Amino acid sequence: MRAPDRTALVRCDGAARTFGSGPTATVALQPTDCRIEPGDRVALTGPSGSGKSTLLHLMAGLDEPTVGTVSWPALGTRPDLRPGPVAVVFQGPSLLPPLTVAENVALPLVLAGAADGAAHDAARAALARLGLVELADKLPEEISGGQAQRVAVARALAGSPRLILADEPTGQLDHVNAGAVVDVLLAAAAHAGAALVVSTHDPAVALRLADVWELHGGRLTTVRPQEDAWSR
Amino acid sequence: MVALSWIRGLLAHRRRRLVSTALGVAVGVALLASIGTFLSATTSQMTGRAIGQVPVDWQVEAQPGAHPAAVLATTRRHAGVVRALPVSFARIGGLSAATGGSTQQTGPGRMLGLPDGYSAAFPGVIRVLAGSGTGVLLYQQTAANLHARPGDVVTIGTGRTAARVKVDGIVDLPDIDSMFQQVGAPVGAQPQAPPDNVVLLPQPTFDRVAAGGSFVTQIHAGLSHALPGSPGAAYTQVSGSARNLETQLAGGGLVGDDLGTTLDAARHDALYAQLLFLFLGVPGAILAGLITRSIAAAGRDRRRRDAALLRTRGASTHQLVRVALAETAVSAGAGIALGLAAALAAGASAFGTASFGASTSAALLWSGGAALAGLLIAAGSIALPAWRDARSLTVAGQRAEVGRRDRAPWWARYGLDVAALAGSALVFWQASRNGYNLVLVPEGIPQVSVNWYALLAPVLGWIGAGLLAYRLADLLLVRGRTTLTRALRPIAGELSATVAATMRRQRRLLATAVTLVALTCAFGASTAVFNATYAQQAEADARLTNGADVTVTQSPGVSVGPSAAARMQRVAGVRGVEPLQHRFAYVGADLQDLYGVRPSTIGAAGKLQDGWFQGGSASQLMGRLGAHPDGILVSAETVQDFQLVEGDLIRLRLQDGRTRHYTTVPFHYIGVAKEFPTAPRDSFLVANAGYVAAATGSDAVGSFLVQTDGTSPATVAQRLRRSLGAGPQVTDIVGQRKVVGSNLTAVELSGLTRLELGFALVLAVSASGLALALGLGERRRTFAIASALGARTRQLGAFVWGESVYVTLGGLLLGTAIAVGISEMLVKVLTGVFDPPPDVLTIPWAYLGGLLVLTTGAAGAAGAITLRALRRPAIEELREL
Repeated sequence: MRAPDRTALVRCDGAARTFGSGPTATVALQPTDCRIEPGDRVALTGPSGSGKSTLLHLMAGLDEPTVGTVSWPALGTRPDLRPGPVAVVFQGPSLLPPLTVAENVALPLVLAGAADGAAHDAARAALARLGLVELADKLPEEISGGQAQRVAVARALAGSPRLILADEPTGQLDHVNAGAVVDVLLAAAAHAGAALVVSTHDPAVALRLADVWELHGGRLTTVRPQEDAWSR
Repeated sequence: MVALSWIRGLLAHRRRRLVSTALGVAVGVALLASIGTFLSATTSQMTGRAIGQVPVDWQVEAQPGAHPAAVLATTRRHAGVVRALPVSFARIGGLSAATGGSTQQTGPGRMLGLPDGYSAAFPGVIRVLAGSGTGVLLYQQTAANLHARPGDVVTIGTGRTAARVKVDGIVDLPDIDSMFQQVGAPVGAQPQAPPDNVVLLPQPTFDRVAAGGSFVTQIHAGLSHALPGSPGAAYTQVSGSARNLETQLAGGGLVGDDLGTTLDAARHDALYAQLLFLFLGVPGAILAGLITRSIAAAGRDRRRRDAALLRTRGASTHQLVRVALAETAVSAGAGIALGLAAALAAGASAFGTASFGASTSAALLWSGGAALAGLLIAAGSIALPAWRDARSLTVAGQRAEVGRRDRAPWWARYGLDVAALAGSALVFWQASRNGYNLVLVPEGIPQVSVNWYALLAPVLGWIGAGLLAYRLADLLLVRGRTTLTRALRPIAGELSATVAATMRRQRRLLATAVTLVALTCAFGASTAVFNATYAQQAEADARLTNGADVTVTQSPGVSVGPSAAARMQRVAGVRGVEPLQHRFAYVGADLQDLYGVRPSTIGAAGKLQDGWFQGGSASQLMGRLGAHPDGILVSAETVQDFQLVEGDLIRLRLQDGRTRHYTTVPFHYIGVAKEFPTAPRDSFLVANAGYVAAATGSDAVGSFLVQTDGTSPATVAQRLRRSLGAGPQVTDIVGQRKVVGSNLTAVELSGLTRLELGFALVLAVSASGLALALGLGERRRTFAIASALGARTRQLGAFVWGESVYVTLGGLLLGTAIAVGISEMLVKVLTGVFDPPPDVLTIPWAYLGGLLVLTTGAAGAAGAITLRALRRPAIEELREL
C-alpha cells in the first residue's frame, strides 16, 4: 500500500494509443490507468508487440495518447520533461555518431542550458561512476555495443533525473553485458534517487526490479510486486 | 530474381532515393543533349550564313592563250555550277571628270565589262547608292574623288585612248576585296589592296573602250548550295570541286574559290563553337554527375544497411552487385528518358528545333552520347560505390561516413590541387605568349587543328580550384574549431561547440557540399560573365560596323554640314546626334579613309572602347587629340609602313572643298587607332573635325551617329528615313547585327545562353538545396535522438542552420573566387571567339544576384523543410531507437 500523500511522477488516465486510422488502424495500447511514484522500480514485461515501448514513450512524453491523458504531476508539463527530470535509455544504438562519448553524455546538459565546461565535467563524472572514463574521447563507432549501451545509461544519469525510462536496454546484449547494464541502471537510480521503469522481455532482467507490469495485446493485464509475479 | 524484388521494394518504399538519382542523371543528360542540339544547329547555321555572304562562289580566270568561251562552257558544264557569266577586267590609267567648274583626276584604276543580267544573276555584287543599277556605274570612292553624280560625264583613260561615258549610277562593291583578288595567288600570299577607282561598264561599252587594249576574262560562277551542314565538310566538297574544275580546264583557267575561302573561315568558327561546348557544356555535365553522386552518397549509409541486411540473409557479393546494377539501370533509364525529353523541350524553346542534330547521324550521336553520359553518372553514383562496398565491407562493417579519418585525402597529401593550379597558370602564361591562338587553320589546308595544350589551362584550373576548395573547407573544419565555434555562436548559441564538433566529424560530407556549391556557383557565374561579355562584344562589333544605334550616311557627292544634326535631333526617340566627317586622304601613294571627329563628344556618341586604341585608353587618346588640333591617329600598319614616331609630322593630301584640288595638309602623329566606328578594318585615319574643315574649307559630314533614348533603333531608323527622305542611307544596329561578319559573334547565342544559365541555376539549387536536404534527411535518426533527449526546435535548428550556413556561405565565397579566375581565363583563352576582344569582363549583376538569391533560398528552403520534418520526430524513428 503506497502512501497517498506522495505525488505521482507519471499518471496515465485511460491513456490509449492507436496508429493509423480506418480499417488499417492498429491499437498499440488499450486504455490504461497507471502511475509511477518516486522510488518505484518497475519492469514492463510482455511479448513483442504487447505495447511496452508505446507505454514507455507515452510516459516519457515522446508520444501522445490518442485517447485519455498522461500527466506528470510532480515533474511539470511535457516540455519540462526532457532534458531534465526524465531520462530515456533506448533499445538500439542511440549515441550521436558525430559526437565523442563525453560529448554524447554532456549533450542533454548542454541542451538544458548548462555551460559547456560544466556539462563536460558532469559528463566525465557520470562516465566515471560507470567506469567508462577511458572511453570519453572515443567515437560511438569505436566502442562495442555493450559499451555504447552503458554510455547511453551514463547519458541518462548525467542530468540527475527523477525518472529513468529504459526501453529494452539489454535487448541487443549478451547475458553478461545485460546484467552489467541492469546493475548500472539500478545503481544509478539509487544514486540519483530516481524512479526506474524498464521494459524487457527478459525474465532475468525483470527479476531485478521490485514490480512487474505485464502487457498483452496492448492491455496492461497485471500489476503486481515481484514476489507475486515470479513466485508461481 | 533478388534484383527484381529489390527494385519492386525500392519503387514501393524508397521512391525518393530513386527519383533524386534519376533527376541528377536527367540534368546531366539534358544539358549535354541540349548543347549538342545547339552545336549541331549552329554549325549548319554557320554554313548557311557563310554561303549567303558570298556574292560570287567562283571566279574562274581564263589564262593567257585560253579561249574564254571554252572556259565558260567547261565551267557551265561542271557539276554543281548553276550559273556562270563572263566578266571582263582591264586596267586603266585613270579617270577624270569636269564637275563644279573644276576638273578632277584620279590615279590608275580598273574597268569591268559586265554582261546583261549580271546583277540579277549575282545580286550581292553591286549595291546601288544613287541613280540606276545598269549602264555605266561608278564605284562610290571613285565618285567621291571625282565629285561625280549620275548624269555627269567621266573620261576613262588618258591621251589618245581616252573614252567619255555618261555615269548612270553610283554603286558600292561590298565584296571588292574578293572581286579584285589575285586569282591563283600562292597560299599565304599577302592579299592585294583593292583599287580605289573602279568603273563598271556594259559589255558592249567595255569592248568599245577597251578596243585594242589588253584585258582578262573571268567566269563568275554560282554553285548549288545543297552542301553538307558542317562548314568543314562543305569546305572540303567545294574546294575539291574547284580543284576538279581546274583539272578539267587543263591549265586554261584558275579558280578563285571565294565560297571555299569563306567556308574555310566558317569551319574555324565552327571549331570555336565546339570549344564553347567543351568549355561551357562539359563542366556542367561533370558537375551534374558530381551532384548526383553526392545525392546518392547522402543515402549511402541506408544503402549499406540495406546491403548488410541482404547479406545477413545470405546474399552473395555478386547478388549485391546485381541489385546495385538493377537500381542503376532503373535510375539511369528514368533519368535518360526524362533528360532527353527535357532537352527536346529546351531545344524547341531555345533554338526552335526539337531535334538532337541537323542530320540523323548527328542526332543519334548526340542523344546516344548524352544517354551514355547519363548511364555513367548513374553507375558512378550507385553501382560503383555499391560494388566497392560489397567487396570491401563485412556485415559488421556498415559504418556511417563520420569519424576521425584525420588523414587528408591522397591528392591533398601530394598537393595535387596546388600542382594543378600551378600547371594551369603555366599553360595560361604560355598560351598568352601565343596570343591565345586556340584554333589553328593554316590557310588553304583542309585540316583544322586545335591547340589542345592551351585547353589544359581551364581544365587544370577547374580541377585545381575544386580540389583547393575542398581542402580549404576541410581545413577550417579540422583546424579551425575555435574559430568555427565562435562563428557559429550567433546561430547555435550554447550549442556552438557541440555543433562545431558535429560538423568537424561530418567534414567529408560538408567539405564535399561546400565544394559542390562553390563549383556550381562558379560555373553559373563564369558562364554568365562569359555570355554577357560575348553579348556585349557582339553588340560592340555591330556598333563598330554601324557606328551607333542608328547611322545616317550621306550620299556620295552630297555636301551636308554639321548643322543638319539639328533636324535629326528633333525626331522622336533621338537622344543625341554626332557628326562624323569622312574624307579620303593620300598618305604617300596610299588612299586612306580619314574621319574628322569632335574629340570631346565622340567618345560617348561612338561608345569608343579602350581596346580599339593602342598606347592609351579611348578617353586618353581622344583627350590627346583634343589637346592637339593638328593631331592625327593612324593605324598600326601605317606606323610600321612609314616608320612613324610619336610627334612626327605627316603630310596628307586632302581634297579642298572649294577648289576640288588636292592640297597638302600637315598633321602630327599622336597615337594609334585599331578600330573606329564605321571605319574599314585595314587602314584609316582619325583627326580633329575642326582642323580638317579649316584646312579643306569644307565642314561636310560623311555620316551622323545617332544615339537613341531607349526607343528601338529600328523604329528610330524608320522615323529618320521618313524625315530625311530618300537621299541619305539610314542603317540601324539591329539590322547590322544580322549581317555582321562570318564569325561566331554573328551566331545567335541567346538560346544557348538561356539554356546554360538555366542549367547553372538548376545545378546551383541542386547542390545547395537538394544535396543539403537529402543529407540532413538521411540523418533523421540523429536528429530524432537529439529530439528524444530534449532538444528544442531552436536547438535542432542550430545543427541544421550551422551546416546550412557553412555550406552556403563557404560555397559562395569560394565560388566567387573561382568564378573570378575562371571567367578571366575563359574570356582570355577564347579570345578568338570575340571580335573585337573585350577590354573588361561584363558582369551580369542581375543574373548573379538571382544566382545568389536562388542558392541561398534553396539552402534556406532545405533547412526549413528539414527542420519542419524534424520538429516532431517520426514515431517510426523513435520506435527504432
